[in-house]
Amino acid sequence: MKCKIGFLAFFTLILLASVVGCYRIKGIDGGGQIGAIEKRQPNGLDIALPPGYQIESIADGLTFPSALEFDEEGNMYVLEAGYCYGEIWTEPKLLKFGENGTAQTIATGTKNGPWTGVDYHNSAFYVAEGGTMEGGKILKISKDGKITTLIEDLPTTGDHHTNGPVVLDNQIYFGLGVATNSGVVGEDNEGFGWLKRDPKFHDIPCQDVVLNGVNFESENILTEASGDKAITGAYVAFNTPTTQGQVIKGSIPCTGSILRIPLQGGDPELVAWGLRNPFGLAVSPKNKIFITENAYDERGSRPVWGAGEVLWEIKEGTWYGWPDFSEGKPIESHEFKVPGENLVKPLLQKHPQTPPKPAAILGVHASACGLDFSKNSSFGYEGEAFVAEFGDMAPTVGKVLAPVGFKVVRVNVETGVVMDFAVNRGGKNGPASWLGKNGLERPIAVKFDPSGNAMYIVDFGIVKMTDDGAVPIQKTGNVWKVTKSGNNTTSSNQARKQP
Amino acid sequence: MKKLVFIFIALSGLAACASRKSEPIQQKMLVLDESEKNGQHHFMHHCQKCHPNAEAGLGPAILAPPTFLKKYQVRHGLGVMPRFSKNKISDEDLDDMMAYLKALKKF
Repeated sequence: MKCKIGFLAFFTLILLASVVGCYRIKGIDGGGQIGAIEKRQPNGLDIALPPGYQIESIADGLTFPSALEFDEEGNMYVLEAGYCYGEIWTEPKLLKFGENGTAQTIATGTKNGPWTGVDYHNSAFYVAEGGTMEGGKILKISKDGKITTLIEDLPTTGDHHTNGPVVLDNQIYFGLGVATNSGVVGEDNEGFGWLKRDPKFHDIPCQDVVLNGVNFESENILTEASGDKAITGAYVAFNTPTTQGQVIKGSIPCTGSILRIPLQGGDPELVAWGLRNPFGLAVSPKNKIFITENAYDERGSRPVWGAGEVLWEIKEGTWYGWPDFSEGKPIESHEFKVPGENLVKPLLQKHPQTPPKPAAILGVHASACGLDFSKNSSFGYEGEAFVAEFGDMAPTVGKVLAPVGFKVVRVNVETGVVMDFAVNRGGKNGPASWLGKNGLERPIAVKFDPSGNAMYIVDFGIVKMTDDGAVPIQKTGNVWKVTKSGNNTTSSNQARKQP
Repeated sequence: MKKLVFIFIALSGLAACASRKSEPIQQKMLVLDESEKNGQHHFMHHCQKCHPNAEAGLGPAILAPPTFLKKYQVRHGLGVMPRFSKNKISDEDLDDMMAYLKALKKF
C-alpha cells in the first residue's frame, strides 16, 4: 500500500513538473520570430472559418495598411499607416479602391504617422494621425483629398499613439495611448526610438494624482559614460526621481485616455482615462462605445507579466486602472508578478476610482486591435464584436510559449465569451509566415460593409521580431473579405493592387 | 520504473500534440449544456488569457493533462501560474470548468 502511495505521489510530481516546469525551461516562441521572408501571396484557402463562411484576399501589396472604411456609395477606402515599430516611416495614405480593382491615392500625410484609424461621416473621412514626430492629430479629409487638422499636438510621441476615431452624436471620439509601458520612462523606450528624440517626454495624468514615490534604477542611456545610472519615478521624465506624496498635476489632453471633440474641431473633452493603449474604437448596435486596450508588457523598469488584452465598454467619467490595475484587478496581484521577481508596486497613493470589470479578456500579448460589430442577422453573430488580433511581438513584449493572436475572434460582450472566428489552418496557431503558409499574417482591423453582409479584415502584413525589435516588411499587407453562403454581396473577381 | 517513464513520455507527447478545438478548425459549432456554459464563463475570466481556447499561449496547452491534475494546479498554483482559492473559483465552478474542458476535448 505504502509503495502504491509513493508511486502515485512520484507519478503526480512528474506530471506536475511536466506541466508547470514548461514555462521556465522553454524558450520564447513568438509568432514574429521567423526567418528571412520578404513576400506574401495571400490565399484564403489557408484560413479556417466557421461552417458556411468563405474568405478571399481582395487587395494585396499594401504597405502597413491599418484601417478600412466605406463611403455612402459603397466604395472601399484603405488607410496605409505610414509608420511601423522598428522606426520605419513611409507616407501615410488614404486609398480608394475602384470597381476595376485599382487603387487611387486620395490623400497623403507627412512623416508623423501612423494613421491608425478612419471613420466616414457626412461626406468626410476622420483620421487619427499617430504623431510619432510632431504629436497626434485628428484630421478631416474630404473626398477630393483636402486635409484639415481638427486638433494637433496630442501627447502621443511615445510608445503608443493617437488612435480611433469614431463619430457618435456629432462628436469625434478618439484614444491616446500612454507614453510608456507602465508609467515609468526607461531603457525600453529608447528601444521604441523616441527617448533620445524627446528625453523630456513622459506620461500625463488627466487629473491630479498623488504618487507613492516609487523610483526605479536603470542604465542612463542618455549619457555616454558607462555604468552611469538613472533614477526615474512615475509620470516624470527619464532620470527624474519622485517622492512619496508628490502631486503630479493633471491636464487635458492626457495620455491613456479617450477624448472627444466636436465635428468641426475644438477643445478636447475627457471621456475616460486610465487606459494603456486604447487602439480600436467602435460603436455597438446599442450605441455604446467599446475599445480594445493593449495591456502591459513584460519590459522596461516596471515590467508586468500575464496582463490580458481587454475589451472595455467605455462609460463617461470612468478611470480604467492604468498604471495600477490590469483587467480591473490590482497590479500587485500575484498573477501580474514577473516569474522570479517581486510583486509589482502600485505607483499611486490613492486611486481615482475602483476600475470596472472588462467586457472580455483576450490573450496576453495578443495585441487586440481594430474591432467592429455584426449588425446583420444574415451575416450571423448579430451584436457580437469581431476583434482583429495583430499577434504577439515577442520577444520585445515578453515571453510566450506559442504564438498568440494572429486571428480574428468574436466576442459576446454580454458574457465575455471569446471564440475564434478566422484562424490559420494547421496543427498550430500562428501567422502565415511562421507556419510557412499563405493565410492571415497580422490582422489589424475589422470592418463590416454598409449592408452588414460582408466583413473585411485589414492584414498589416509581415512584421518580423528580433532581439533588436520589429522588422516590418513593406508591400506585404492585404485586405480579406469574408462572406456567408447565400448572402448577396458583390464578388471580387479581380484582385486589387496598390498603385 | 520503465513503465513510469513510458507513461510520462506518452503524456508529455500528448500534451505537446494536443489538437486545436476551435469552431473554424473543427468545422462545427460547439454546443454546451448549462454546466459547461458556466464553466466556459469562468474559463474566459480566469484562464483564457494564458491558454487561449485551451491552446498554448503565455502558458501551455491544457486539454491533454488529466482533470485531477488541472484541478490540483488551479488550487495550488505550482510553477508560474497563480493559485485560485475557493473565494475566486468555487468548487462547483471549478467542476464546471473541468466539464467545459472535457467538452472541448471531445469537440
